Amino acid sequence: MINLLKSAVLQRRASNSFALLVSATALALSLPPLRALIEQSMLWHMAIQMPLLVLGGWLAMRALAGHRLAQRLARWNRYGLTGLIAAQAIFAYWMLPLAIDRAIVLPLADGQKLVSLFACGALLQHSFARSPVALQLFFVGYAVPMMIWLGFYFTSTDLRLCNAYSLESQVRTGRLLVAWGLALGALWLWAVLRPARSRH
Amino acid sequence: MAKISNPDPASTGSGAGLFLTFGASLAALLIGLVVIFAATDKGHAFTTEALRRGEVERQPQVIPDFALQNGAGGSSALRQLLAGDKKIWIVDFVYTRCQTVCTSLGSSFQQLQLQIQQRGLQGRVGLLSVSFDPVNDDAQALRDYATRMRLDPQVWRIVTLASVQDRRRLLDAFGIMVVPAPLGEFEHNAALHVVTHDGRLVSIIDYQAQALALDTALAWSQ
Repeated sequence: MINLLKSAVLQRRASNSFALLVSATALALSLPPLRALIEQSMLWHMAIQMPLLVLGGWLAMRALAGHRLAQRLARWNRYGLTGLIAAQAIFAYWMLPLAIDRAIVLPLADGQKLVSLFACGALLQHSFARSPVALQLFFVGYAVPMMIWLGFYFTSTDLRLCNAYSLESQVRTGRLLVAWGLALGALWLWAVLRPARSRH
Repeated sequence: MAKISNPDPASTGSGAGLFLTFGASLAALLIGLVVIFAATDKGHAFTTEALRRGEVERQPQVIPDFALQNGAGGSSALRQLLAGDKKIWIVDFVYTRCQTVCTSLGSSFQQLQLQIQQRGLQGRVGLLSVSFDPVNDDAQALRDYATRMRLDPQVWRIVTLASVQDRRRLLDAFGIMVVPAPLGEFEHNAALHVVTHDGRLVSIIDYQAQALALDTALAWSQ
């Protein structure tokens, strides 16, 4: 029994430090010296730092599951509705090429990016933990095709969409966005179908 | 992830308890829409470039003065050059080593030059290429560019900044972003900038749309 508790605590600690590691890495990418990476490469900015921020928020909220904060938030987020809508708005905003440019040029906009995308991940976790599959589909069915479509558009257009990045960087970002979209869609399907099978 | 199909007890309520959530959802939706609406110039612009063009279109921007240098080694101020012949200017930004987008800009300017010559518009519209790379573009480089592009000095002039320190200020004034690219090149947003003789940037037009640029310049020259 004590061993079981011990391993649960250890597991908890490991997942907390993973959440911290992901969030700290995402934050470090906005600060020198790593900032050079996101300033020079759209791929590092849009396809690595931004997903890491969302993941960091998700993991942080998962570590807080059952905590008073998560419970208080739950009253405002029945069925995860508020969180999904807010996350979708944040997601849509940061898919705008002009928002990407702003985050590179204006430190304030970069700060807004860090906070809002972290919050996006936290809200998504809070929402996915309490929303029916149909409602989850509402988010996934928007975000995944959006990422895949945008990714293909990035790889195929001759138009440089961000003034801050080269066309070559845009093409590489597009490929990774498509990969992320496919991976997220698959991950969600797996997560939804797995418990259903084990229940039978 | 394991929690996905186990909605927590707080979520299973219904009726009056849902008001908080519906209110918050509506607020999130409205705030999201307002922010995106405002950021995209009411849904018109999704890129910085489109935003910049829209802003200039609505509110002409006064361009600050810069010290310039020409291919003959002579210097002048930008304002002085613009004001010289009471012309409307179509301005582009280049660096003379450029193999990519400036080549298209160059041929766009060549076609404009031809149009201006054929229609006898020399007195009304001028072409001005400004190099943002004064380190590499010395007087000789500018002269080479002029020869290569067959510049008609009555129509088309090429200049560079007299001082490297002005580079950032010049690019910001016109909303140009220059990104280092492979093989020592630069990538930059390329466009045709219509500037009045009193130094106001009044329109930014696609570099392929020469006819529109010329019409816009002519409209402002009246």
